[in-house]
Amino acid sequence: MSDVSTVAFSVFIFFFLLVTILGFAAARWRRAEKLDHLDEWGLGGRSFGTFIAWFLIGGDLYTAYTFIAVPALLYAGSAVGFFAVPYTIVVYPLIFLFMPRLWSVSHRHGYVTPADFVQGRYDSRPLALAVALTGILATMPYIALQLVGIEVVLQVMGIGSESDNWFIQDLPLFIAFAVLAAYTYSSGLRAPALIAFVKDLLIYIVIFVAIIYLPTKLGGWDAIFSAASDSFDTFNKENADAIASGAASPKAAIPPPLLHWAYASLALGSALALFMYPHSVTAVLSTRSRSVIRRNAALLPAYSFLLGLLALLGFVAIAAGVTVGDPPNPQLAVPQLFENEFPDWFAGVAFAAIAIGALVPAAIMSIAAANLWTRNIYKAYLNRNATPSQEAQQSKVVSLFVKVGALLFVLFVSTQFALDLQLLGGVWILQTFPAIVIGLYTGWFHRAALLVGWAVGMVYGTWTAFNNPKVGDPGSHFGSPLDPFLSVPWSDTFLPFDTLVYIGFTAFLLNLVVTVVLTAILRAIKVPGGVDQTSPADYHADEGDVGVEEELDPYTTTAHP
Amino acid sequence: MTDSRPPRPGTSTRGRWFLICLLLAPAVIVPLLVPLYDSEDPTLFGFPFYFWFQLALIPAAVILTGVAFALAKGADRMDRESHGTRRGEGPR
Repeated sequence: MSDVSTVAFSVFIFFFLLVTILGFAAARWRRAEKLDHLDEWGLGGRSFGTFIAWFLIGGDLYTAYTFIAVPALLYAGSAVGFFAVPYTIVVYPLIFLFMPRLWSVSHRHGYVTPADFVQGRYDSRPLALAVALTGILATMPYIALQLVGIEVVLQVMGIGSESDNWFIQDLPLFIAFAVLAAYTYSSGLRAPALIAFVKDLLIYIVIFVAIIYLPTKLGGWDAIFSAASDSFDTFNKENADAIASGAASPKAAIPPPLLHWAYASLALGSALALFMYPHSVTAVLSTRSRSVIRRNAALLPAYSFLLGLLALLGFVAIAAGVTVGDPPNPQLAVPQLFENEFPDWFAGVAFAAIAIGALVPAAIMSIAAANLWTRNIYKAYLNRNATPSQEAQQSKVVSLFVKVGALLFVLFVSTQFALDLQLLGGVWILQTFPAIVIGLYTGWFHRAALLVGWAVGMVYGTWTAFNNPKVGDPGSHFGSPLDPFLSVPWSDTFLPFDTLVYIGFTAFLLNLVVTVVLTAILRAIKVPGGVDQTSPADYHADEGDVGVEEELDPYTTTAHP
Repeated sequence: MTDSRPPRPGTSTRGRWFLICLLLAPAVIVPLLVPLYDSEDPTLFGFPFYFWFQLALIPAAVILTGVAFALAKGADRMDRESHGTRRGEGPR
């Protein structure tokens, strides 16, 4: 533990203790009369207003991992690395339009998860199970990545990396996660909601200092952008042969025409996927009214601005001459930049911001995954007469298992595999879009068609991503989220298009085509479609035409059918 | 399912919702038109066009969404009145 700065470490510990106290105190915050109800533990009483929701949703979506990985992409010279910015612009108008409908129908029927809605809309247990399992599968590696975020910070601080004993080595991570698990168990969604205030304030302070102080120190943005572009040019020149033979990728700051579709499809595909993630739905359903969601769709882009500036720290790290070890791990770039350039105490603040930034989404994700388990597996299959109190208890316990699972994953499998699965997670979750979002507008899709479309998207996406080798390493897997449009996984020579696009997006289009065609067939031969529990008034009728009760007391609404 | 639905109510707000979608459309479409902004020049405060243009899209999207929000508030209230599902004040 030689290179731990005592000052940085003390500041870090101070903030960690602060959020721990907040996490436990949150159980008493905005307390409801009945706590043993999933609406209370898992959705914070469905009571959050614009202000709290802004911090909660912001804290949920812009995770520590994002703050590490996005600048890492720019640092590494990935030409499409900046796609996170258009992605987080495109997503909000979509939220503005469809999330209030999901909110309304969920309030009317007491839905807690997206799979609850699918069950109610399509009257199909297999489809609801598919949506729930997809959600859990996609969320698990996402939680694991939050751990990776904490690990990276601990590594740069030099904590716990000295010992050969894996237990001692990972002890700080254990402690952080045990504490997180304990207060999530006792406070539910209120814990991350309260901690999100600290997280976001710290992140905002750190970023603003970083983007003002660091460029001043390094000769201005001009110098930073030219340092990055010089460094990429040098790399491309030195590796010209490898690039020509396909053994290395050229580096660039701006996507060349060849990658335009890749950039746009990554942005659009990720935007469509983002609000299919269970943790996003959980955060949205915890709001008090439709207006809270809409107003936040206009206010949340403040975080996108932050993310854009933060992404550029990847270039700042290049200009500052940050090195990231051998073999290089670009994810260390930003924490290492903070360590090198900031005074010790402020580096401590920055590390705390990233670590707390991991705790908030990890808590919400584990709650969301636990809610899915409870509502769509436990209640749907194991204990169909579960009382609200049993549901809440089940969810609390499962949230612990989810976190332990993520921890074991990071410790014993490998970080790389978690990254690979996270890539797949985005591809997978996008396949629930037709059932959920299009289901908010029309009940026309047939439940069997949706299930087949989902399966086609899942298989195509998984197979294609698996078969996609890393650059310069033939035969390896999960090399990139991009593949030629409509390429087939079983043949390297069949390439109808050579334009690279996001695999998840292609899978989504296939899913949609299959669903539409099969629905037309099934409707034509009059295969029964199941009984829709929802009525047009629940979303307020026509497409684009919305409006339903502002607030409903969760205890007076009809129980889940 | 679809065929069992009652006739479409609230047609009076359709124009307003169309306007809302029209307002939001650029915020979805422009960021995806990469050829529009994939150049270095003109730079602004040392930022290549590619970067500052995308960052500038954020406040632009915020303004559009803000106007859409104001319109949606009114449209929601009209919808609720025509459905008779809401008494009292509009969104908080």
